[in-house]
Amino acid sequence: MPAEPKLALSLRGIRMNFGPIVAIAGVDLDVAAGKICGLIGPNGSGKSTLFDCCTGLVRPTAGRVLAGATDITGWGMARIARRERLFRSFQKAVVFRAMTAEDNLVLAGQMAAFSTLASTFSFGPIARRRVRELRVRAGELLERVGLAHMRYSKAGEMSFGQQKLLQFASMLMPEPRIILLDEPFAGINPVLIERIVENIRVVNRESGVTFVIVEHNIDVLRDLTHRLVVLSRGSILADGDPDDVIRDPRVVEAYLAG
Amino acid sequence: MPGLTVVGRRFAGRLTSVCLVAAILVLLPLFANSYQLSTLIVSMVFLLPALGLNLILGYTGMLSLAQMGFFGVGGYTSALLAMHFGTPFWLNFLAALVVPALVAIPLAIPALRLRHTSFVMCTIAFVFILDSASKNWVSLTRGDMGLSSVPRPRLGLWSGGYVVHTTAGYYYLGLFLCALAVAALIAIVRSPAGRYMVAIREDETLAASVGGRTWHYRLAAFVLSAAFAGAGGSYYVHYITVISPTVFDPSYTNTVLVVVLGGGVGTISGPILGGVVFVALSEALRVAPELRMVIYGLILTTSVFAFPKGLIGPLFALWRRMLPSRERGSHAG
Amino acid sequence: MLQNILTDGLVIGSVYALVSVGMTLILGVLGQINFAHGEYYMAGAFAAWWGIDRLGLSYIESIPLALLIVAAISLVIGYVVMQRLVDVSFDAGIIATLGISLLLQNTATLLFGGTYQTFDGGWLEPVRVLGEDIAQQRVLIFLITLVVFGGLEWLVRKSPLGRQMRAVSQNIECCHVLGVDVRRVVLITFVLGTTLAALSGVMTGPIVMNVYGGMGEAITLKSFAVIVMGGMGNISGTLLAGWVLGIMESLVAAYVGLQFRDAVAFALLVLVLMWRPAGFFSTKARY
Repeated sequence: MPAEPKLALSLRGIRMNFGPIVAIAGVDLDVAAGKICGLIGPNGSGKSTLFDCCTGLVRPTAGRVLAGATDITGWGMARIARRERLFRSFQKAVVFRAMTAEDNLVLAGQMAAFSTLASTFSFGPIARRRVRELRVRAGELLERVGLAHMRYSKAGEMSFGQQKLLQFASMLMPEPRIILLDEPFAGINPVLIERIVENIRVVNRESGVTFVIVEHNIDVLRDLTHRLVVLSRGSILADGDPDDVIRDPRVVEAYLAG
Repeated sequence: MPGLTVVGRRFAGRLTSVCLVAAILVLLPLFANSYQLSTLIVSMVFLLPALGLNLILGYTGMLSLAQMGFFGVGGYTSALLAMHFGTPFWLNFLAALVVPALVAIPLAIPALRLRHTSFVMCTIAFVFILDSASKNWVSLTRGDMGLSSVPRPRLGLWSGGYVVHTTAGYYYLGLFLCALAVAALIAIVRSPAGRYMVAIREDETLAASVGGRTWHYRLAAFVLSAAFAGAGGSYYVHYITVISPTVFDPSYTNTVLVVVLGGGVGTISGPILGGVVFVALSEALRVAPELRMVIYGLILTTSVFAFPKGLIGPLFALWRRMLPSRERGSHAG
Repeated sequence: MLQNILTDGLVIGSVYALVSVGMTLILGVLGQINFAHGEYYMAGAFAAWWGIDRLGLSYIESIPLALLIVAAISLVIGYVVMQRLVDVSFDAGIIATLGISLLLQNTATLLFGGTYQTFDGGWLEPVRVLGEDIAQQRVLIFLITLVVFGGLEWLVRKSPLGRQMRAVSQNIECCHVLGVDVRRVVLITFVLGTTLAALSGVMTGPIVMNVYGGMGEAITLKSFAVIVMGGMGNISGTLLAGWVLGIMESLVAAYVGLQFRDAVAFALLVLVLMWRPAGFFSTKARY
């Protein structure tokens, strides 16, 4: 098995302009594999846009994105997910509302389990066995995040917090290498926050999954992350140990001013 | 029944109701007269493309109005093979699946890049193109006059075999083909691919984020639905033994739309119900074509507001209330 | 005769433009394609025919009658159906308006029979324009179209209603905040757009002479081609695109074959759609 590259994600000179608006003004960032990295900044600093650039939702105006050693700049979202096992959560429309929780997870896992288009159509014994395995795994994950009782409920019927948990669980299904979380703690109660935090820690420790988390909730990030990066007006303002960064006067000023 | 799991019990319940319905359908010719059977035959003719439309609209979320274009292609293919080569029905039918699917591919590739309304307009343009082709490729299709004296379906392996010529015969042939089609649709819908198509319908960006090539699945859905439509065309052409460019008329497309939307989009039993209620019933009641279209128009318009899930919606709700509470799951028919 | 072809094309293009501008206005404000749009054109022609044939009116009297009748019908439809399509998915809008199209077409056939009715009216004597004899009706169509388009440009750019229309087409959420009654704007735009289509039908009746329930069907699809070519929400663009279509149809009919005339719109439509694969339709129009 090839050795894991030391850098999970690298951004080189990323620039993103929307017409005259400069969303990201030159970002260089290296995220080490197996680390949990937090990304904070005042509103409008370009955090979500940075995620969009990394995950193929948007093509950066300039600069390169690398996953490990592979240049993924300009790749589409599906390709990035498939090849580099880089997954990303969304702030808003989080789940497939018409499907059950279990189906949501099976769906998240199946694209990794079935590599070709044709194989997804088959209903032979091999396909069915794979789906069964996916269902078992889904059940385990649901158990882990405490949603086992909602296994057969439609995702649309769940509360917002539960949907966020479900979304988080579904990112764990396809054996990810890198997970980008976009405000995973926003709008949910502390109990659920704690559950997600615990799961992030466990998954990071046991499977070495790299996390990059965009959040406003700095308290949670302080304990969870190995490293904190502050984005302000499209550039990196500070980068380093969470406690140091939070006390950095420039960061405080940026939050007060921005 | 003690000892069976919840799932097992639900399966047994459904199995009995399916067997019951199947038994009724098989025995029907003993009670029903020729006219009544022929109304069911007509609804089966429309059911096949409706199942395809359901796949692409109900499950994948793309509104394609090109179904009857492929219906026509399948019909012409089947008719021409039978007329020129005297081939047995299974071969004509198979060709009527394959040829529309192949025709669909080059049409779909540019169309799938379009969004929303443009895509729909493009599918309408397809029907028009196919209509023009059938009118102008006179050497093949005899243009506006169409093909007549299409041979009746010959159920043999290669030569010989039983030639269907009675209403009851057509009825059973239709039942068989529809059963195959329904089974195929179930297989597709329950497969991982089918699940992914629903994901695409729900939220395409999210579906892409889990690593699937959404474009491939949309193409697959389009091509498969063309095959379903072609199947209907084949059954149709051997039943009424003529085919002409009128098959590309909007009225055919509208009928299939009503069957799917009025019956229940996104379910399997919905179009079946829709076919029986909207097609067979209006045939049986000998509703004038214009009045039928007025009713179809009302159904379409109101279905958007009042019955977004079609007739099957309230029926399902009724069924679920009759089951014990633990068995109320999320699986629509 | 090339000049004949061109003038013919301009006239028929004006007809298309007049019908299509209604569709583009409705699309801009509601975000939906009115699949029944051609049926209002048909209704205009039918209503005028009915006034002449059954009520014994003269042609010029039948015009306001027809417009009133169609406006009344579209007011009801707009109130009951179209207003409710404001927040609805594009699929639903297509299906709903398709249903209305079926309703209108077949009600007309049920009421007046399936055969062609002959439109007996209009000013068909030729008049000499630029060295060529053209039926007065055709000149009238061309002129009226110009007047209407001029009026629309003023309406959209300068009038309060036009401001509201632009606001709704650009950002519906803002409208709620600013107190613009979205549903009312939709209704008014809808009635306006469909009445313009009816006007086109009334003016064209004398020329096509055959009035029947299905005469609007091809018009809807050609209108779509026109607005796609002209740019969504672009009023003067729609006029130009209508002329382009009309002239191309005339050329094709004369030099290639009459049976290919209707195919021109489709060909143009497919071509334009392919060149702009992202499609023309966001929910925001640019007026």
